[in-house]
Amino acid sequence: MSLKLQTDRHFVVSGIVVLVLLTIVIKLFYIQVIDSRYKFSAQNNVLRYVTQYPVRGLIYDRNGKLLVSNKVVYDLLVVKRLVKSFDTTEFANLLDISTDQVREAFTSLKKQRGYSSRKAMVLLKQLPVDVCNRFREQLFRYPGFELQPRTVRKYERHIAAHMLGYVGEVDENTINNNSYYQLGDYIGISGLEKTYEKELRGKKGVNIYMVDVHNRIKGPYENGKFDSVAVEGKNLETTIDADLQEYGEKLMVNKIGSIVAIDPKTGEVLAMVTSPSYDPSLLVGRERAQNFMQLQTDSLKPIFNRSIMALYPPGSTFKVVNALIGLQEGIVHPYTQYSCAGGYTVGRGVGCHIHRSPINLTEAIEMSCNTYFCHVFRNIIDNPEYGSVEEGLNVWRKHVESFGYGHKLGIDLPNELGGIVPSTSFYDKYFRKGGWSSLTIISLAIGQGELSATPLQMANLVSTIANRGYYLTPHIVKSIGDSLSIDEKFSQMHRTTIDSVWYNYVIEGMDMAVNCEPGGGGTARIAALPNIRICGKTGTSQNPHGKDHSVFFAFAPKDDPKIAISVYVENAGFGATWAAPIASLMIEKYLTDSISRPYLENYILQANLLNRRGKTK
Amino acid sequence: MGKIFGRYLKGDRTIWLVVFFLSAISLLAVYSSTGTLAYKYYGGNTSHFLLKQLGFLIFSLVVVFIAHLISYKVYYPFSTLLMGISIPLLLFTLVFGTQLNEASRWIEIPGLGITLQSSDVAKFSLVLYVAKVLSQYQKEPINLKQLTFKLMLPIALICVLILPANFSTAVLVGITCWLLMFVGRVKLRHLLGFTGVGAMALAILILVALQFNTIKRVHTWKTRIESFASSENDESNYQVEQSKIAIATGGIFGKGPGKSTQRNFLPHPYSDFIYSIIVEEYGWIGAIGIIMLYMILLYRAALIVKKSKRTFPALLAFGLALLIVLQAFVNMAVAVNLIPVTGQPLPLVSMGGTSLFFSSAAFGIILSISRTQSKKELFDGEEPVEDNN
Repeated sequence: MSLKLQTDRHFVVSGIVVLVLLTIVIKLFYIQVIDSRYKFSAQNNVLRYVTQYPVRGLIYDRNGKLLVSNKVVYDLLVVKRLVKSFDTTEFANLLDISTDQVREAFTSLKKQRGYSSRKAMVLLKQLPVDVCNRFREQLFRYPGFELQPRTVRKYERHIAAHMLGYVGEVDENTINNNSYYQLGDYIGISGLEKTYEKELRGKKGVNIYMVDVHNRIKGPYENGKFDSVAVEGKNLETTIDADLQEYGEKLMVNKIGSIVAIDPKTGEVLAMVTSPSYDPSLLVGRERAQNFMQLQTDSLKPIFNRSIMALYPPGSTFKVVNALIGLQEGIVHPYTQYSCAGGYTVGRGVGCHIHRSPINLTEAIEMSCNTYFCHVFRNIIDNPEYGSVEEGLNVWRKHVESFGYGHKLGIDLPNELGGIVPSTSFYDKYFRKGGWSSLTIISLAIGQGELSATPLQMANLVSTIANRGYYLTPHIVKSIGDSLSIDEKFSQMHRTTIDSVWYNYVIEGMDMAVNCEPGGGGTARIAALPNIRICGKTGTSQNPHGKDHSVFFAFAPKDDPKIAISVYVENAGFGATWAAPIASLMIEKYLTDSISRPYLENYILQANLLNRRGKTK
Repeated sequence: MGKIFGRYLKGDRTIWLVVFFLSAISLLAVYSSTGTLAYKYYGGNTSHFLLKQLGFLIFSLVVVFIAHLISYKVYYPFSTLLMGISIPLLLFTLVFGTQLNEASRWIEIPGLGITLQSSDVAKFSLVLYVAKVLSQYQKEPINLKQLTFKLMLPIALICVLILPANFSTAVLVGITCWLLMFVGRVKLRHLLGFTGVGAMALAILILVALQFNTIKRVHTWKTRIESFASSENDESNYQVEQSKIAIATGGIFGKGPGKSTQRNFLPHPYSDFIYSIIVEEYGWIGAIGIIMLYMILLYRAALIVKKSKRTFPALLAFGLALLIVLQAFVNMAVAVNLIPVTGQPLPLVSMGGTSLFFSSAAFGIILSISRTQSKKELFDGEEPVEDNN
């Protein structure tokens, strides 16, 4: 009989079988060689790794006052398999939560990543100490439950929320990219907590225990030979003056804006106020998520760190930069005079207020004359030596950037923005190549137009002027742990492209703006102090959001600058009306630790400038 | 060795070697993996299971030996009778059988204290029966009516009776019969037609069963399939998870005999998940080795089919080999998580009574067929089958 067909068919069958086989072999290879997940889980069967969480580093101010410390809370863990039925109401009462919360916690327990009824899983997070002490007494009645101590942040003073930042649980992304972190670990999410996360967090330790098949601990593995001790986080000593910071925040209540104060000699940030602010302790503990949502949806954006992220037009404060560039480039001489009759009348024109005329450069700064700086600016840009407007703008831009504008300064805080100094290519795109001239961009003369800077950059600028030509990168941390050295970049001197001799003329103008005789025309006489020589420059910057922003920056004392400060109040009006008195109070507070003008203080404290948006002057 | 093979152990030497190797592996793997059981029930007397399995294996070798001496022709007249016994046996088990994991698969033989998995008897009988019927229709191809009444209905009946207690065995038997009919020259369009009908019937059955979720067995299937389909690290995936850990930590060369740690975590490490333990202890090399042994069996069975001048023994040998090999694959596929968890022992390796008995019997019959064949071929002046593998 013919078995031909049969043999053909049995090859088909064999082919199928071989195919199945190959699949098994490939899958084996995949599990053994390619997929490494199960190798790690093997150890988890016999060993239980109990993480020892280190205490996070403390944060101090420049005078050794404690800003941030820690407090103990407890996570309630549960091994589902071991739980015996219990009275939910009693359990809830014991933990000071509702029965619904208990039920919800148990339902969401199973949805956790890596859930196993044999492992200790987190049921409730961050229970306060007193609740846990009560619960611990009754713990024997609840088999399967245990309490794990964790530390969370405690804020000794309710200030500097933006700068300090906050701590929260790591997200999935970080866990996947950084092997140090595991589910449920805490990490610095913003501010100093983020920048100095590595130093603050310390190092987790681990105790390894042998467990049996039912996950019961049998004792330390190899007598604790492989255990590691948790290393405490390092403490941070910051450059912040807590009292000054607190005072600044007090002054800025009901105002939107920022105060940044720097010690010009060292680049140390003395205070960094962002308003509106929030109490940092809102972002700790069980209510964190809820509070965060509330802050995030607030129309005044309290979470937004204006000091380093808000891009403001610098306004008239910028005139000092144009003056310095003009002097350096030989376009203007300290005694060059221009007359002003209510404005610069070429082109669209730029208005000016009434003051005496003609005036020289120092007087122009004192009285903040728009006309004068329009002349200076146009002469810089149109200087025939450079050959073209484009080249003129390039020269101007190079000088401006040397003051720390148009790029990030590199402060030790995350998310700093760099501001904008417009370039030729920007204008080529905005208008067209050759379609613009010094007159088109005349707004730059008075710090308006396409120019923007952060309050930090403005404070750094006035710090540079106080130093007569250099700045040190602003920073907030002075020392970490026991070591006194910080990143070298903070002790590096950044020189401007302007010779130091020219600064004196500008400083003279800033001095006169504050300290001129009554009727002398100084714009910031309100800021003057009897015993301290403050040099400052006001700004009233136009913006599309409503009333002008009130701007002022200053340093003091004149001959031995100890503080450089910028104050920016959004939609408040003239620089002299709000920003200048605030800066003056801050300077006095810092240098004398007292307030000699309670009337001025009250005037600021009582002012509510919140609802001036959308209104024109 | 050569003398022993020539004088006492007749038939295909390669298949004999497969039997010996599998038995040896079985002894090692079962001894290693029953450690926890020994501590749980016999106060740490680990040799209890060693001796027990050794006894089983000697018994099974005796079965192979006896079966290989009995001429396959003996089974021919009995096949219909065996079918006749299987059906009431299955029914009896369904109704009165011992419950194990809510599946009534076992019946106790009164007086002997031996439990018997009736589906083992049934699948054995069915392969015998199908081989016989197919061999009757080789000269003239089987027509549709004969196919329906003589093959399809009996196969369907057996499968349906096995199904409630043991889904995977039912499917396994179904596939074996299908392949056997395919090789046995049943028209492909008929086969495909019946496959379609069968699949639809099965689908309806499952749908109906799901409506009656009260049947616990249905619930087990559902959760097993669900846990296979979902990638979540669920409790019901525990077995698979632990099995993968065993395989992953085995590496290329394995941890060495008796050094498995996963045996303490895997449920049924001595039967359903014995393959994982073997891979853990003997590595990828061991894993491939086991697969090769079953492949060699199938290859030798295919050679028997090729050489055979008679249809019944050829189909019987191939059918039995398929039964063994497919069951082995199902066991391995579960271990590596290719298919949902199901309790198929690894033939001749897993610990256990009836499964071992029927596997041995199957091996014995295959050997018997090859013995007769080689004798005849010698008689015809041909070369005996050589073992080159």
